[in-house]
Amino acid sequence: MMLRPTAKKALLGIIASRNPTPFLVVSRLYHPNVIDHYDNPRNVGSFDKNDPNVGTGLVGAPQCGDVMKLQVKFDGSGQIIDARFKTFGCGSAIAASSVATEWVKGKSMEEVLTIKNSQIAKHLSLPPVKLHCSMLAEDAIKAAIKNYKEKQADQANGETVEA
Amino acid sequence: MMKTKTMVASLFRRTFRCNPVAAIAINSQTNLPRESLQHFSSKSLTTGRLQFSGRVFCSESGGERSSGCWNCGEKSAFLFCDSCRSIQPVDDSVDYFQIFGLEKKYEIDPRSLEGKYKDWQKKLHPDLVHNKSQKERDYAAEQSAKVTEACRTLTKRLSRAMYIMKLNGINVNEEETITDPTLLMEIMELREGIAEAEDSKALNQIRSQVQEKLKQWSDSFVEAFESQRFYEAVKCIQRMTYYERACEEIVKKL
Repeated sequence: MMLRPTAKKALLGIIASRNPTPFLVVSRLYHPNVIDHYDNPRNVGSFDKNDPNVGTGLVGAPQCGDVMKLQVKFDGSGQIIDARFKTFGCGSAIAASSVATEWVKGKSMEEVLTIKNSQIAKHLSLPPVKLHCSMLAEDAIKAAIKNYKEKQADQANGETVEA
Repeated sequence: MMKTKTMVASLFRRTFRCNPVAAIAINSQTNLPRESLQHFSSKSLTTGRLQFSGRVFCSESGGERSSGCWNCGEKSAFLFCDSCRSIQPVDDSVDYFQIFGLEKKYEIDPRSLEGKYKDWQKKLHPDLVHNKSQKERDYAAEQSAKVTEACRTLTKRLSRAMYIMKLNGINVNEEETITDPTLLMEIMELREGIAEAEDSKALNQIRSQVQEKLKQWSDSFVEAFESQRFYEAVKCIQRMTYYERACEEIVKKL
């Protein structure tokens, strides 16, 4: 009784090793968009936190131990001109934050606050188990904007800006 | 497969009378024994699975709710009947601590697990029951998988912490984003340090620092948990999760 499933698994193993794209594993592969963002990540890096035009969002997903930092740089007129990210986590988390940095560029504060995790998830075809990664990216954008607003408010009040 | 369903159904009926919520929670838990061998088609197990957070409120002590051994009626058959040497079906009210004969507390001696684990597998492992009925072979697969999972959960500090919280009705794995700047900055810097570490000496140094922290937060967890400060306990577990991930990264790099 035990032999049949084991033999079947061995057979599938052989097929998988000969065939470079084993059809059985398709559902577990990352979407090409995710692989693209993983292999060619855009906008990795940091801005100076103390720069008054920079908003920094630092968020974490305690469930899987991911941590994501997303920074946006504004010009004088409320438009985001550049963005950077640094993420420690799975491929999906890295891709989600990379996508986020691309999408915020050239947008205003109000516009980026409308970016939803579902849009990011759809773009990357994230499976259910990875949906929290896109949620994390959305939260990172919001945190960055919040930080920028706080800095602006502090500046307006004439207080020293704390990073 | 049908036998599993009837077993689950009878368990459900019994528990439903004493505690409907627990019955629903238990029902959602019995459906997916994670490590079990593929005797069951996943189709029949995933249909009708309820989306509960896995909180178990049923506080009956396991092993004693028995109707006795299914084979010979012997009363004290815990996982395995010593009288007629037949494997018993999985009883979901039995928790991992009971399997290893340990008190339900966080501080345990991990060395006490291995001996008991081997003893159990000598009685329960599926490879030992080729001559027995399909029913008993199914029981063997499930019991053996549960014992393995129990050993795995109780061995590691973090999973033990999360499990003991779960037994107390607190589900730690909430998918909420955290924004605590101090913690996140620390973790960022830690992970950056790991990424930039040049050689194994530097990595091992970081690793020992992280393991120090793990021990420290593990102790904090015990304190918080025993004082019933569950919010704090959850925070300790979250930190431990981050440090564990960092350790995994270090191991990968080494």
